Amino acid sequence: MAKGTNQFERLAEAPVEFVRDGTAFIQKCKKPGNKDFLKIVRAVGIGFVAVGIIGYAIKLVHIPIRYLIV
Amino acid sequence: MAGFRLIELARPFAPLLPEVELPYEKIGFDDKVVYTIIAALIYVFGQLPLAGVVKDTIEEQGSSVLDPIYFLRGVFAAEPRTLLEFGTFPVVSSALIMQVLAGLKLIKVNFKVRQDRELFQTCTKLFAVLEYVVLANIFIFSGYYGSALTVFQVVLLNLQLVSAGLFVTLLVEVIDKGYGFASGAMAITTVTIATNFVGDVLGVNQLPVDNEGHFEAQGAIINLFQSMRASHKTFAGAIVGAFNRDYLPNLTTTLLVIALAVAVCLINNFRLELPIRSTRARGVNNVYPIRLLYVGGLSVLFSYVVLFYIHIVAFVLVQVVARNDPSSILYKVIGGYASSNNLLYVPQFPLSLLTPPKSFVECITRQPLTPIVFSAFMIVTGVWFAGLWQAISGSSARDISVQFKEQGITLTGHREQGIAKELDKIVPVASTTGAVLLALLVVAGELLGLKGKGASIIVGVSCGFSLLELITAEFQQNGGQSALTQVLGVTGA
Repeated sequence: MAKGTNQFERLAEAPVEFVRDGTAFIQKCKKPGNKDFLKIVRAVGIGFVAVGIIGYAIKLVHIPIRYLIV
Repeated sequence: MAGFRLIELARPFAPLLPEVELPYEKIGFDDKVVYTIIAALIYVFGQLPLAGVVKDTIEEQGSSVLDPIYFLRGVFAAEPRTLLEFGTFPVVSSALIMQVLAGLKLIKVNFKVRQDRELFQTCTKLFAVLEYVVLANIFIFSGYYGSALTVFQVVLLNLQLVSAGLFVTLLVEVIDKGYGFASGAMAITTVTIATNFVGDVLGVNQLPVDNEGHFEAQGAIINLFQSMRASHKTFAGAIVGAFNRDYLPNLTTTLLVIALAVAVCLINNFRLELPIRSTRARGVNNVYPIRLLYVGGLSVLFSYVVLFYIHIVAFVLVQVVARNDPSSILYKVIGGYASSNNLLYVPQFPLSLLTPPKSFVECITRQPLTPIVFSAFMIVTGVWFAGLWQAISGSSARDISVQFKEQGITLTGHREQGIAKELDKIVPVASTTGAVLLALLVVAGELLGLKGKGASIIVGVSCGFSLLELITAEFQQNGGQSALTQVLGVTGA
């Protein structure tokens, strides 16, 4: 709303300030430690690949179907 | 309610559109997981080839219309020349655009009134179906499915594309209405992107690559091993080929995609932890995390929705109106299409300014302006959206402070009245900064020539994170007696 357009104007007027705010924010952020991060990446990776494999198996079923109907 | 309201337009259609009933009773954790996954898998299964498409021989294809939106397909889970030609784009775009319009008060909706909410939903759905119809006909009349279609073929194609679209809309609605985990479009997109990723890396299906009858595997890793053993290639040639074949996924793009996914994982876990304390009990201290990616992958999705619209309008003007004729004025003003590999339609200058290049070398040598214009586009649309979305999506600074008050917590070192103001200094900055970082990642990936895979993995991983968050929250609340977790042996997510 008004805030959105405000944001936009501020960005157009002072990108420098925006970048400064942003970097300050990132510096204040808590970042995951190496160990946590590895754990997250592993969990997400396994989940992603597992779902992907199920999906891909379904896609493989398509190949004979394509031969049948095309 | 003075004046005309756009959502009233949907009223006569409300009884006509099929609708998913809200669940009668609360859906359990297991059922939700199953609903979500099955719905997404049905979507993947729905990528059946279209009937009634004119089959071009290879020679003819050079002159016919090719895929103009190849770099946008990944993000919207769209498969060319299947029932899901447009994927979830109409659903995602109509939902996002209607919400944005409502947020900007361009559409007047009172979300507190039940009837208004229902009308708004119908309106969104109607808009999505309408988009399927319009897109289907744009593609049909552009000659994408063949140049001389009979009336019967046109009707058949329309029927297939639109009914598949309606089906996707309902599939998304099933998840949205509480049978699954939150945003249905998100779940479907994530699963499809994961599927494509696995297919690109480990896909074993063999595709013909040349006229001599050689086949190569779709998956980059499978291809590496396979071509090492192939008799028609040298060992070194096989490895080089596995890294830089450009007709199918290669190892370089795979590694880049993985790097991007890891980067998204990293910034997804950046959060500002605000110290909070209870106003009721003394000495109860905790932290309230504000995520850097406050709006998640939605800002990238929004940028891509806008990009899609731009490219579709250009496609209509250049292909349907001007027939991609280099002498016409529209071709000169907007830029035409050049075919590549007999598969893709690559936009030319100036439309190429908003098109990710096919490879990094091509980007430097042939489209030196693209990096500037494309990144500017992604950042501006992303930031604008993130700024707006955090204010309208029900998790703005004011909403959080109301929540705080209800739960009797306050920020340490601030009076209760000052919470909203303090949060207002943090939340918009977080969401816009996060949007910029994501946009930069997308731009970096796309400019290196990932042809939409970069953007899609970023959207996929960040949507995956949003889903994961919902699932863990749900699990902690009532996943205790879940049979699924016992089977899978998960101990506390």
